[in-house]
Amino acid sequence: MTAIDLSIRAAAAEIALIGVTKSYDAKNTIIPPIDVTLRPGEFTVVLGPSGCGKSTLLQMIAGLERVSSGKIVIGGREVQDLEPKHRGCAMVFQNYALYPHMTVAENMAYSLKVAGVSKAERAERVGTVAKMLGLADYLTRKPSQLSGGQRQRVAIGRAIIREPGVLLFDEPLSNLDAQLRHDMRVELAELHRRIGATSVFVTHDQVEAMTLADRILILNKGHIEQFDTPKAIYHHPASVFVAKFIGSPPMNILEVEGDGSVLRLADGQVVANYSAKGKFQLGIRPEDIAVNEGGSIKTEIRYREDLGSHEILETKIADQNLRIAMPFGVEIDTTQTLSLSFPQARLHLFDGETGRAIANAFGDAHSAPVKEYQ
Amino acid sequence: MVENARSINIVASILLAIGILYIVGPLYLTLSTASQSYEYMLRNGLAWVPGTELFANMGKVIHDTRIPVQMLNSMIVAFSNALATCALSFLSAYAIVYFRIRWAGVAFALILATIMLPLDIRVITTYQVASNIFSPLNAVLDFTGLNSLIEMAFGSPVQLELSVLDTHFGLVAPLVAHGTGTFLFRQFFMTLPKDLFKAARMDGAGPIRFLIDILLPLARASFASLFVLTFLSGWTQYLWPLVGASTPDMQTAVVGLARLVPDADGQVPDFPMIMAGAVLVSLVPLTMIAVLQRFLVQGLVLSEK
Ligand SMILES: Nc1ncnc2c1ncn2[C@@H]1O[C@H](COP(=O)(O)OP(=O)(O)O)[C@@H](O)[C@H]1O
Ligand SMILES: [Mg+2]
Repeated sequence: MTAIDLSIRAAAAEIALIGVTKSYDAKNTIIPPIDVTLRPGEFTVVLGPSGCGKSTLLQMIAGLERVSSGKIVIGGREVQDLEPKHRGCAMVFQNYALYPHMTVAENMAYSLKVAGVSKAERAERVGTVAKMLGLADYLTRKPSQLSGGQRQRVAIGRAIIREPGVLLFDEPLSNLDAQLRHDMRVELAELHRRIGATSVFVTHDQVEAMTLADRILILNKGHIEQFDTPKAIYHHPASVFVAKFIGSPPMNILEVEGDGSVLRLADGQVVANYSAKGKFQLGIRPEDIAVNEGGSIKTEIRYREDLGSHEILETKIADQNLRIAMPFGVEIDTTQTLSLSFPQARLHLFDGETGRAIANAFGDAHSAPVKEYQ
Repeated sequence: MVENARSINIVASILLAIGILYIVGPLYLTLSTASQSYEYMLRNGLAWVPGTELFANMGKVIHDTRIPVQMLNSMIVAFSNALATCALSFLSAYAIVYFRIRWAGVAFALILATIMLPLDIRVITTYQVASNIFSPLNAVLDFTGLNSLIEMAFGSPVQLELSVLDTHFGLVAPLVAHGTGTFLFRQFFMTLPKDLFKAARMDGAGPIRFLIDILLPLARASFASLFVLTFLSGWTQYLWPLVGASTPDMQTAVVGLARLVPDADGQVPDFPMIMAGAVLVSLVPLTMIAVLQRFLVQGLVLSEK
């Protein structure tokens, strides 16, 4: 690391939400009580469908929205009643929210100016941050003269210039095109390593979540479905909601019924051995299904999608959609009936009512245990 | 095709010429009349050709009439009207757009209602209020029965009285109560990035700093255009100044011009002098437009830059 790298470095703070709730009006509760602790320096991605309360959660941490009840503790200080500027947080917004009439340099230095930092120091800090973000040549430009990616960089620069202990991102990449989004992801990961601030990144894009996060917090209608490492979430989804949300294409979920020895589909086909009775939801990832290896489950291809690196086959069993991912190079006769088998070790079982995962339903063989984070 | 286009062109040109004639004709007559002498007009009627008496007529206006002091009144009224309207509209739009206020929608609707109920319609009630600005309060006290309580306790009911007729304040205040500016600023604020306010709060800027550092510079063009428009409207007001001020020294120039026509029958008004006065009175708004017309267009075209 160079001297420049070291000069913007935050003292990362722990964030704890204790029984935090939020409702805008008496009728609707946006966030039911949430309890969660984000470790200092950790990169947490809050993932969930749009409207589930991600932004609301982030803005409560930032101080832009009041909590309806509960406590927020940042770096050991209770902050839920403090103004944003006293919380040591900085935020990057989806639509950049740059000041249109200020130059890049003025935009980045505005918070320092408000805080009464001297002109000389402001210029120095702007120089450092601009160099870090590759904005050194654009300092005198107005936001309207920048590309989308450059604007987002300015927004990031504006956030990190104060060396905040907590960095908050609200879908910062969703206005960028696919290529730029990828590049910015890489840059953000790099930046996080260098700055070390506790980061909370809100998105509805699972790729961003999987690639950036130390831990992913999956939010559904305001409550936490699962909070774990990307690996654990992928391999051990805690609920049907998580299972369907992560993976592309997402995990197949089949309604099955246990008769005490096997799990059957509605049409009577046996899909797995299991010793409990009742209704269950069975999950299997499209890439885990074994095709034409002597399996007993029969189906026909309805549609195929060749993506180059792999192929997606759309099929139906017992009137339920089933997607199969075939690796490149496997030849299949699409006119023939397929015989499928579901490797027991790759199956996920969920409660038929609650959708919560049933741990170790198929024994310990079930995919290699994932090392706990840290 | 070509012929077709040409005939359209000819028709368009004729229409344009008629339009120009319609607008420029009276203007020309004003100027030509203003430059002839009273005697010339008495002899020849309408002055179709310009004469040499323009400055003499203007001199007459300045020395023999109250127009100069009335122009000062107009200046005060128009300027305060513009300034107060800009400030009030800016602040009320700020409150409506950026703060979660109960009944914000209702407040905005009421403000908009003032556009549909212009002063010309409300002139009689406005006069009543201006002649005693406490009359609404008195009415409320009477209506709610509070006054009879007060009478029992103190021996006499509250009847406050303060007239603002014949004052500059009285001339300006009713003009300011108008929603166009609020609407203009609100529409402008809506075009700004919606997280700007939050971004500023994160940067440590409170509502006042946001107003001064961010909104004010951004709204410069809107300010200028609203200022010009309200200034012009204040300058050219006729009905309210006519009603609200009765002494010549408090009247505005436009009212003063109308008063130059003698009330008595049979006497031919000194039209050259009156027209010279009209030219004189028009000079101020004309200069204003010339200097600030750039902003007029900019501010009315609501675009995010
Ligand atoms: N200011 C507000 N007033 C009332 N309801 C709001 C407000 N902001 C957000 N909501 C509601 O809260 C819910 C969650 O919103 P949000 O946190 O923005 O979701 P997300 O960021 O996950 O898409 C939505 O149903 C939204 O309608
Ligand atoms: Mg959101």
